[in-house]
Amino acid sequence: MTEQTAIIHDIGYRHYEGPRLGRGSAALALAVHSLRGVFGLGRTTRSKIIPFLLVAIMLLPVVVSIAVMALLKQSAMGYPSYAVTMQAVLAIFLAAQSPYLVAPDLRFRVLPLYLSRPVTVLDYVGAKLAAMTVALFLLLAVPLTVLYAGELLVDLPGPPHTRDYIASMVCALLAAVLLASIGLALASFTPRRGLGVASVIAFYLFTSAVSAVFFGVLLSVGRDAAAKWALLVNPFFLIDSVQVALFGTEPSNGEGYPAGPWPALILVAVIALALTGLIMRYRKAASS
Amino acid sequence: MNTVVADITYRAMLGRKRILLLVLLPLALIGVAGLLRLIGGSSEDTAVTLMKTFAIGTILPLLGLIAGTGVIAPEIEDGTIMHLLSKPISRPVITFTKFVVAASLMAVFAAVPTFIAAFLVVRTESGVAYGFALGALFAGVAYAAVFLLLGVVTRHAVTVGVIYALVWEGLVGGYVPGARKFSIQQWAQSIADQVSSSAFFKADVPIGFAVPAMVIVTVAALLIAGQRLRGLSLTGDE
Repeated sequence: MTEQTAIIHDIGYRHYEGPRLGRGSAALALAVHSLRGVFGLGRTTRSKIIPFLLVAIMLLPVVVSIAVMALLKQSAMGYPSYAVTMQAVLAIFLAAQSPYLVAPDLRFRVLPLYLSRPVTVLDYVGAKLAAMTVALFLLLAVPLTVLYAGELLVDLPGPPHTRDYIASMVCALLAAVLLASIGLALASFTPRRGLGVASVIAFYLFTSAVSAVFFGVLLSVGRDAAAKWALLVNPFFLIDSVQVALFGTEPSNGEGYPAGPWPALILVAVIALALTGLIMRYRKAASS
Repeated sequence: MNTVVADITYRAMLGRKRILLLVLLPLALIGVAGLLRLIGGSSEDTAVTLMKTFAIGTILPLLGLIAGTGVIAPEIEDGTIMHLLSKPISRPVITFTKFVVAASLMAVFAAVPTFIAAFLVVRTESGVAYGFALGALFAGVAYAAVFLLLGVVTRHAVTVGVIYALVWEGLVGGYVPGARKFSIQQWAQSIADQVSSSAFFKADVPIGFAVPAMVIVTVAALLIAGQRLRGLSLTGDE
């Protein structure tokens, strides 16, 4: 019998003995990490180019508008129409960034690693959704707030457009929720980033083209009421119609929207549908 | 042209979820054309609007983006392009083969549905259907080449392509007439205008500029893509 020579050296690994933050903190950390990632913070320089370029484009009309207010002493751009005017930029931002949030985790099948922690599927989806919503809201709210601050500083004759500003801020939040849920739902169906970008932008281009074509054709054959309904196919006009219904602002398309609670109901239904799709997709991904 | 590479690329394009978008978009175009006919807008004016804003302005760039980047960008993204590049096939031949695949997909999924959609609305009246189908075919080929080049040059090919199609061709082209000269969509419209005799439709770019520009852009994009693929570096992005 040989002498026992094997020993276990203590090489200094330590257990974590600090406080264990629970499920909420994990979800919050995931949301903050995702939000930073949407703007390319904590990622390579190259992935910062597109989000910050789009932020700069969003701020451009605001800067021009403030300059016009300061020099010509007249208001240049209304708050309620800002989201509709900048819809292409918002759509590109959504299409470019929402696949980043969902695609890599699906592609490398790391979802089970998240779920082995206190985070549940709903927490995960909620964190991603919150990150995209906050990002889109910031994209809209920062230029609007800058414009409002500019208006207050320039001090135009007449009262400031506080009511319009509040209306546009509330609807910026609604737009952010709507766009984020649609964008993430569409992007989560493919683990490939390129295809995710293509499907989100295809959705936007398709809906905006359908609404434009049907609006034009229905007007030309004299069915004005139906033409106004056709506009609601475009998500940005849907938001604008809710804004008109809630706050009585000027419609951005110059034609008006169908009256009554229907635009708001459609908005809620679309958000619910997108969220259901998103959650079902992740239920499936988590079980595989 | 390498048939094996072409075969593999076809299988990659038609066997995945990519096919869904490739089929859904043209179907949507035909569906919209059918709906327009139902609501009684079957005039030449409607057909021209549908073709200009929807077929050429929306569906064509989207399909070009999906087909053009789809033939090569996913392979570069997940690194499997290495297996292809390590074979004794010249890189320009690889890009050319992939371009042929993308261009043929554009002919099937963009040009043919464009013709069907226009035919549904106005039949063959004043050559609108023929004109726009031909325009979609040539512009589809040009889009395929340009977006293939983008797929080789950058990891964010689809995003950059979207920005080109939406911001340059859509927004800037809408306000700045000079920008329209350098837009593939407008070149497609020039070709369509040449064939059709419709009074509702006038292209902004003369055909004498559009056709040479289209040829130059396609050939140049292919040559540059072949060159870029010779010195491709596979570095992780994230």
